[in-house]
Amino acid sequence: MTADGLTRGLARGGSAMLLTLFTAFLLAPIIVVVLMSFTNQLYLTFPPTGFATRWYKAAWNETAWFDASWNSIQIGAATAVLSMILGTLSALAVTRGGTRWTRWVASLVIAPMMLPHIIIAIGLYPTMLDLKLSGTYIAVILGHTVVAMPLVFTTVSAALRGYDPALEFAARTLGADGWQAFRHVTLPMIGGGLAVGGIFAFAVSFDELMLALFLAGPRTETLPRLLWEHLQQTITPVIAAVATLVLLFTLVLMGAVLQLRRPEAEPAS
Amino acid sequence: MDAQPSVIIRTARPWTQGRGYALLAAVPCLFLAVLFVWPLLRVVLRSVLEPRPGIGNYTKIMFSGPYVAILLNTLEVAAIVTGVCLLIAYPVAALTARMNGLRLRLMTALIVGSLWTSAVIRSYAWMILFQRYGIVNDALVALGIADAPVRILQTTTAVVIGMVHILLPFMLLPLIASMRRIDPNLLRAGRILGANPVRLFLGVYFPLSLPGVHAGTVLVFISSLGFFITPALLGGGRMMMAAMLIEQQANIYLDWPIASAVATVLLAITLVLYIAYGRIARVDVTRSLR
Repeated sequence: MTADGLTRGLARGGSAMLLTLFTAFLLAPIIVVVLMSFTNQLYLTFPPTGFATRWYKAAWNETAWFDASWNSIQIGAATAVLSMILGTLSALAVTRGGTRWTRWVASLVIAPMMLPHIIIAIGLYPTMLDLKLSGTYIAVILGHTVVAMPLVFTTVSAALRGYDPALEFAARTLGADGWQAFRHVTLPMIGGGLAVGGIFAFAVSFDELMLALFLAGPRTETLPRLLWEHLQQTITPVIAAVATLVLLFTLVLMGAVLQLRRPEAEPAS
Repeated sequence: MDAQPSVIIRTARPWTQGRGYALLAAVPCLFLAVLFVWPLLRVVLRSVLEPRPGIGNYTKIMFSGPYVAILLNTLEVAAIVTGVCLLIAYPVAALTARMNGLRLRLMTALIVGSLWTSAVIRSYAWMILFQRYGIVNDALVALGIADAPVRILQTTTAVVIGMVHILLPFMLLPLIASMRRIDPNLLRAGRILGANPVRLFLGVYFPLSLPGVHAGTVLVFISSLGFFITPALLGGGRMMMAAMLIEQQANIYLDWPIASAVATVLLAITLVLYIAYGRIARVDVTRSLR
């Protein structure tokens, strides 16, 4: 009896320790960056020797960070909109179009997410040169849409599978044309999934480095690219300050997704 | 014998809602044909057509330079990362699968939150932690594991830790999903029939969790193959992976044919794994990303 209690106690202690270590491992880098951003020293010292906001002021005074952030937000928003349109079209075709080859469409749409971005990047670079788009916003937006579209496709597909297609058929029978049926029946039903997919697409674009390295130019510098360039040269805690602000922004986006998902049932697992 | 007969056939077939929807795929397919399929084809074509037609680039990769070594290193790192991820994720997932309520929600928030944090920023954080006089070295010296600060940055260890941190959610989510589907009555039945915990695990629990193991393993391995940011920042110069090699050949040496050939090899490996995986596991890959 006591031996059984002992093993059970040991097992519980062991699992508590494992979960603590795991949590510490996942959170460590984030905590380090936030602490670093408030250091009062020039070099990367840890733990910090004092509290200061000088690196935030330094970042504030450097217009390059603002320009890059604004570029990233614009590119992210355009990527989200384009991904939402193309992702919804492909999701409708695959879940509602009952032909054999729609399975291939699904594989094609998903594929960019599985492939290393570097391969897509070195293929898109000459294509963008041909289209005279290299270095423009459009080039980065199109490139990001290729890799962000699968996320909208999956969230919208899930939403479409969540209700009876007979609803749309009923609307059509009652005289609605294709667009009216979509606008008044489909769209309200998939709204949540579409919004979540759009935020995912924005987040992918906002964090994407590889395609931006090959497709963006000096005037379309994105935030990950600027961070990357800074990391290659001199590393000052300014990067930590910017990174902390980016993390905060990501947290807000994630909160929005959680809020949007709340009305739905617990995720099927 | 021109377009006319096909038009007649089309109008003769009854309209179905499904066919109307299927037509919507035309726009995204055209988009992907121009901006995804054609660029990939172009990479493949370039590897065999430039600088002159033939397999010159591939023989160069095979027999000279560091190319084969780097590709093998990439596979090795991907295998190590996948193994470490599985080792950490399996027990954590097993514990998470039994949670409910607030604990489950906190755990999900932690895992999904990790998925959302920028890879550039996380690699930067590891650079701070791993530097010569950083906190990890301080701890190693204080604990007596090392006599003096050791070099952690620019080693495979640093790259593996950084990559595991980024890829853990991709292992955890499919594992948790498949473990939650295990019927607890099966374990109860095994216990009643006298199986000891080890037997119960090996004979019941582990086989039932295999779909998650397959999905997570392939997902992590495929993703590892294309990693760039983490090995570049944490392995810097001393340690090279395929994506870094391609970027270097294209951006620094401007040797696009070689970059294309290496990319084609990487593409082939990824595609083979992707297709084989689809056949074996038949699990929706993207499920775990949601």
